[in-house]
Amino acid sequence: MKLGFSAADEEFRAECADWLNAEMAGEFKDIKGITKLTASPERRKEWEQRLGEAKWGCIGWPEQWGGRNATLAQQVIFAEEYARAGVPGRVNHIGIELAGPTILAFGSEEQKRRFLPDIAAGKTIFCQGFSEPGAGSDLASVRTKGRLENGEWVVNGQKIWTSLAHISDWIFVVTRTEEGSKGPKGLTFLMMEIDQPGIEIRGIKQINGDAEFNETFFTDARCPEDSMIGAVGYGWKIAMGLLAFERGVSTLGQQMAFRNELDELIAAARANGAANNPLIRQRIAKAEIGLRLMRYGALRMLSNTDHSKIDGAALTYKIQWASWRRSLGELAMDVLGQAGEVAEGSEYEWDTLPNLFLYSRADTIYGGTNQIQRNLIAERGLGMPREPRGDV
Amino acid sequence: MDFRFSDDQLTLTESVRDYLSGTHGPEVLRRLDEQGNRDPAIWQGLVEMGLTGLLVPEEHGGLGLGLVEAALIAAECGRACLAEPLVDTAFVAVPWLVHQGDTDGLQAIAQGTRTVPLPHVLNPWVADGEGQPLQSVDPLRNLAMFSASGPADEHLLNLGALMSAAQLLGLADAMLHQATEYAKIRTQFGQPVGAFQGLKHQLASCAVAIEFAKPVVWRAAQALQDGVTSAATHVSHAKLAAGDAAIQTAETAIQVHGAMGYTYEVDLHFWMKRSWALCGAWGDRAFHVRRIDEAVLGGSLPIGPEHTFA
Repeated sequence: MKLGFSAADEEFRAECADWLNAEMAGEFKDIKGITKLTASPERRKEWEQRLGEAKWGCIGWPEQWGGRNATLAQQVIFAEEYARAGVPGRVNHIGIELAGPTILAFGSEEQKRRFLPDIAAGKTIFCQGFSEPGAGSDLASVRTKGRLENGEWVVNGQKIWTSLAHISDWIFVVTRTEEGSKGPKGLTFLMMEIDQPGIEIRGIKQINGDAEFNETFFTDARCPEDSMIGAVGYGWKIAMGLLAFERGVSTLGQQMAFRNELDELIAAARANGAANNPLIRQRIAKAEIGLRLMRYGALRMLSNTDHSKIDGAALTYKIQWASWRRSLGELAMDVLGQAGEVAEGSEYEWDTLPNLFLYSRADTIYGGTNQIQRNLIAERGLGMPREPRGDV
Repeated sequence: MDFRFSDDQLTLTESVRDYLSGTHGPEVLRRLDEQGNRDPAIWQGLVEMGLTGLLVPEEHGGLGLGLVEAALIAAECGRACLAEPLVDTAFVAVPWLVHQGDTDGLQAIAQGTRTVPLPHVLNPWVADGEGQPLQSVDPLRNLAMFSASGPADEHLLNLGALMSAAQLLGLADAMLHQATEYAKIRTQFGQPVGAFQGLKHQLASCAVAIEFAKPVVWRAAQALQDGVTSAATHVSHAKLAAGDAAIQTAETAIQVHGAMGYTYEVDLHFWMKRSWALCGAWGDRAFHVRRIDEAVLGGSLPIGPEHTFA
């Protein structure tokens, strides 16, 4: 065990901070502090490209593909400084954290050359086509069909909850390519360009009024045969490999955003006197403890060099952060009291804390609900018998 | 002590429930949300049911009923997620005006031609009042900031908190119903998701919270009606029990609906946001906990075996 950062790490920290602060004070001043994922999409795309040009877009990637081969400590530092500088979240999160690593792990050399440099440069924005109306928690029951026809995949069906599909260039899609197959068998993982007549995107309005995710319809949508990752019928293996990346370094940056939210809540509690209430004080202390717990847990998890190995500790991460943040949203509302329920002006536009309350309701649902997470921990982690299921 | 309701009370409650379920479904909420929140026809229907005059004394053209009946009807308003200012005017303002001896405008209220949005120091804004409009988390509430702060009257506060608690019960019941029905029809892994204990047990816990909150609210209504000295404590207890049950149910219901529960397209959020708004109205959680704290520890609430159920 070796805790703390080296002198070289601290030098790297200064370099990150200098660059990020300069950008947020200069050309990208207008996007500083934005927390909403759908705000200023065009400027956010320009920001992705700026990160790419300066080689800050995906520092953990190999240098060959536009990264910096950064160590874990450096990635932690970058994530911290990124949040500290008030830089808005990445609109190409899916490309950098999920699509890229999946292509690196499972793609052909040709596919790496075709996709990775553009993702790294912030020129190709990706979204994720996994869930369907009938395949949420039960992801393996996808029905969107793919068939090969004259050297092209032809795809028909519907995906849902495709975050930022409306500003994305590409989508990766899990399709059922073996007629009559069920569950995880017979699935194939395809990469498809979104700008084509066969793909239609419709926004879904959320309870907070925003529309981050979409329904994505495929009607004879097409992509070349070699847009498949892995092999025919290997879609589930690729999808599961990809989901393992979801528990990766991105979580560190997320924690810094959580830190900002907790700090804002503490400031609000001090300002309106809620901090004098012993019940609130206790919950704030508990939130602080929970945040640190997540931090150490994530660093421990990431110190494990074999990231693809899903061990017991990694399985517990999602439910921990999602539940923590959901509680933070509830605490925020109790801190604000009645003032949290109104907004001045006519827009359905919420301040950070009330929005946190609404937004955090989704945290324990997307990317595997808390119920699914508990089943995973119990069944895969603890080796308990699988819950009885009906006929699929 | 007898918690049973009379046949008249039950008949009245059922008739209001039937009327609202027949005329004020989720499609009405969506229409209102798109078309400016208020519809005179809905108000007229409530007037014709006699609800605006429920607590107005008979000599002023009302039905002259009491707070228990009003709380039962307020729960039905919550169940239907009614946004018209019926509860604020007819079940909060009317008994307060009667209590003040201010009976001049009661007839107009009973006839439905006058609404009385009342502010309170704890409630700087009220629904359907005049003043600086505010955006509420609840899309169907027309909140406005009052220019002058309202009175610090405790009876008014208790009426407002009681009626909020009653609405919260109905809201919680309705959300539990929506989530339960969804869990029966949504299938994953080859069976309804409601078959999984992970969801079933959460919904069962909501039912426990709601059922135990109900008699607390009815108790508070009776206490306030009778003017007993401990009424304020009963009201605070009711507000906490009903608010906690409603928030727990709202949160569980969203989780049970999965991602659909996070969308505007599913009706649930109207009920969830009303619950959130009413939990903060007429004294938030911290306020009512403090009132109980002070009553118990400060000695104004007699404790000991002979007082536990008083």
